[in-house]
Amino acid sequence: MTRHDHHTPGPHDPYAEEDTAGGWFNSDGFVPRQPSRPQDGYDYGHGHGYSYDAQTYPYQQQSYQPGIPEQPQGGRDDRPTHALRTVAEQAPAEPGYHVPDTPEVSWDMAASRRRAWVSRAVLLCVLTVQAVLSLRLSNTAFQDEALYLAAGHAQLDQLLHGTPLPKDYAAYFSGSPQLYPVLAALVDGWFGLAGARSLSLVFMLATTGLLYSLTRRLFNERAALAAAALFAVLHSTVVMGYYATYDAAAVFLLALATWIVVRTDRAPAAAVLLAAPVAVLAVGVKYAAALYLPTVVVLALLTAWPRRGARSAVGRMVLLGLGIGALLAAGVYATDLMAGVRQTTTDREHGTDGAGFLLRRSAEWGGLMFLTAVGGAVSYVRRSRMHESPLARRLDDPGWRRRALLGLVLCGTAVLAPAYQVHLATQVSLFKHIGFGLLFAAPMAGVGVTRLVGAHFRYPQLGIMLWTAMLCLGIAQADWRFALWPDSSKMVRAIEPYMNSRDHYLSSTPEVPLYYFREETTHRQWQSVFGMEYTDEKGTYLSGDDAYRAALRDGEFDLIVLDGLTNPRVDDIIAEAVRGNPHYRLLADLPFRNSAGTGEYRIWIKTS
Amino acid sequence: MRLLSRTRTVLSSCLLATLLLGGCSSPGDEPAGPDAAGGGPNAGSAGGSEASVPYDVVPLLKPSRKYFGAAVEGSPHSMKGVDAYTEMVGKQPNLIEYYAAWGDGFDATGVRNAWAEGALTLMSWEPFDTPLADIAAGGSDAYTEEYATAVRELNLPVVISFADEFNGHWEKWGTEHTTPEEYVAAWRRVHDTFVDVGASNVIWAWSPNIVNPVSEVELEPYYPGDGYVDWIGLIGYWTLEEDSAFDSVFGPTRDQVRAFTGKPMLLLETAAMAGERRRDDIRNLFEGVTADDDMLGFVWFNHKKRADWRLEASPLALEEFRRLAADDRFGFDVRKP
Repeated sequence: MTRHDHHTPGPHDPYAEEDTAGGWFNSDGFVPRQPSRPQDGYDYGHGHGYSYDAQTYPYQQQSYQPGIPEQPQGGRDDRPTHALRTVAEQAPAEPGYHVPDTPEVSWDMAASRRRAWVSRAVLLCVLTVQAVLSLRLSNTAFQDEALYLAAGHAQLDQLLHGTPLPKDYAAYFSGSPQLYPVLAALVDGWFGLAGARSLSLVFMLATTGLLYSLTRRLFNERAALAAAALFAVLHSTVVMGYYATYDAAAVFLLALATWIVVRTDRAPAAAVLLAAPVAVLAVGVKYAAALYLPTVVVLALLTAWPRRGARSAVGRMVLLGLGIGALLAAGVYATDLMAGVRQTTTDREHGTDGAGFLLRRSAEWGGLMFLTAVGGAVSYVRRSRMHESPLARRLDDPGWRRRALLGLVLCGTAVLAPAYQVHLATQVSLFKHIGFGLLFAAPMAGVGVTRLVGAHFRYPQLGIMLWTAMLCLGIAQADWRFALWPDSSKMVRAIEPYMNSRDHYLSSTPEVPLYYFREETTHRQWQSVFGMEYTDEKGTYLSGDDAYRAALRDGEFDLIVLDGLTNPRVDDIIAEAVRGNPHYRLLADLPFRNSAGTGEYRIWIKTS
Repeated sequence: MRLLSRTRTVLSSCLLATLLLGGCSSPGDEPAGPDAAGGGPNAGSAGGSEASVPYDVVPLLKPSRKYFGAAVEGSPHSMKGVDAYTEMVGKQPNLIEYYAAWGDGFDATGVRNAWAEGALTLMSWEPFDTPLADIAAGGSDAYTEEYATAVRELNLPVVISFADEFNGHWEKWGTEHTTPEEYVAAWRRVHDTFVDVGASNVIWAWSPNIVNPVSEVELEPYYPGDGYVDWIGLIGYWTLEEDSAFDSVFGPTRDQVRAFTGKPMLLLETAAMAGERRRDDIRNLFEGVTADDDMLGFVWFNHKKRADWRLEASPLALEEFRRLAADDRFGFDVRKP
């Protein structure tokens, strides 16, 4: 591929009608391009793709000194001047100059340092916007965050001091308690909840960076920037970027594994194995990440296909699949996490949320991005070219089958989570899993945006409108999400005097006070509202609602904190059992406002 | 080309619509309604961030030292009487009792005044014109809710003694007008309304008259239950009809009450009749309260009502009172229990 090759537009030139046979727009409107005038006798080419056309660019007309001095007119001197004689004598049959090959295009489509820096600057802006959106969120610890952080502290205590774990976290966590919780607890120990949440922000910013990089590799900078910009303002991205749970770490590791797969497309096939431990680590951090591994494996095929033979590409995919499979198998045998995997991920209890509701939610949270991605994929299948430059026509065309497969895999991944959650009939974590899927659809959405904007930024307003719409949705949804749980700071202050290592507490969300009072209390002292076993004073074994009633009748709990949100049915049973109960008096009623309206903490204290 | 333009136009319209909708409303759920909490528990309270949490009265339920209370004319709305009383007895009372009629508004200013001087307010709430049966049936719910909301918003501890001396025939809500069932139902109704409103800053004192003059009335049927009561408030006076011993005045009532509840007791209203015996009565009062760990303290009824119960009426007795009140076990700043 050389820069100065002449090119005759072919029938498949997607920009042919836009380029209008070489016409250009200038400030006076459309000016049909005329052939260069070699008789001017000047070499306007500078050898590096710069052409000058005097008629097309009249404003660039340059003054010049004629090569032949002007002769005096009407003089008597009939002797030919030396100069005239020279002209007459030396007129060649062929011009003494040559017209350079006219470059087909006046700019360079190859990567340049300037373009790289401009792209990075734009990416930095995107990351800044993402960081600002995440950092503006504010609330006390959500129960999941509180649980993972408290568990992480317990794991740390076990690692450092041999303190026995208060609970078998591995049995019911949806990710390994030895990975993210420990890391987050370390950060939490140094910088508090804001620090742990900022760790998630780092993961999410890195994810956006990797998304940019891999999309650039798959397509180009423009699509990559668009993909990053859209992903950065997603509801799930903004929330996960300030949410101290596994999710940010898992999505980062998935992005890293995908990036490795894409980045090593031209490297020896074995290099793809670098992605295997990262992918398996993602699954270890959060088991649900396994849902996205097939996509990573198929990408190993699709990224290698155009350059390697089909056999080599398939071999690469098989290699990665085997690598991941082997590591996963080793992980399963070497750890005791399978029970947790089964309970929280594979055999998760089915909920009662309807398919219509879940699909509506999915559409609200990721629909626009998904549609953009599908639009991008369809457009990409129809036309592979990603660059205005006519030279781009001669780039490798991976073929429509590969393009269709890539579009299908990337967009299809985005529907995996909603489909699985519809199967489970639960919206628990749906928004986060939608975010996982949209990470893969984002490159296609980036393509969609570039196609929407058109060549030469013809319709930038469309891209801006799309992004602004997603930004508004992302902000509104993230704010809504972060206000779903009540601010617990007053509750924490109200119960602070009653926290010690002896008492027994009942709470709608035991994780939250446990996190804030992890120094004073342990997990064993906290009873939740999701099932209880109790043997009363007469030795009768009770479970479920009756256990709560009997325990309260006996004054088993020293403090009760109800929020009326987490499990309203059991909260009502407890409130009824506490009313008029000789052991308890109301300690505090703390109204709060959340996304769903208003509610209140009701705190009861045992006084006799 | 035309198809492409049309597609872009449609897309632009959709995006614009999404932008407008997305920018203007939260997704999925109903927008949050007006704040039903109405300013929260700290409205009108003592102020500061600490006040945003409801006042925790638990440390006041059974403090390590005794309440040293007084019922003084005009207090706590005006603290002049209390100040004079303090001057007279040499110690600042930390429990100020006043009387309010059912139907009155809540005297938040009085409670604040008392609190500012380190004293808790005890309100004796007397339903002169409303039968307890009506209160029990919910006839006063609106008033009670409004009252409870005002108490909650003040966010300072208040002791409420509702319809005291119910075992006496002399009160309008007494034994001649109200059955024990009606009394208990009314008490629970009022209490539950306060709890439902979230007024956790109330200490509930169930206050019978001492049984001596009405020994035929059993107290237990009138008891609403430990879940509804924090203190047992005993109302009894040293009169010349009985001997001066503490146990003679309060013993029978205390014994009867202890048969059905272990809640701490307070001499919610007491005084000794003026006369030669008054010094001994006062000595017995202090000794009796000091001797019983379950006895929280007492409120001296410093009024001239049916008899002159004021301390200033007997300088010698006052001197003895002053001497005994100097004991560190009596009185403490309720703001730092």
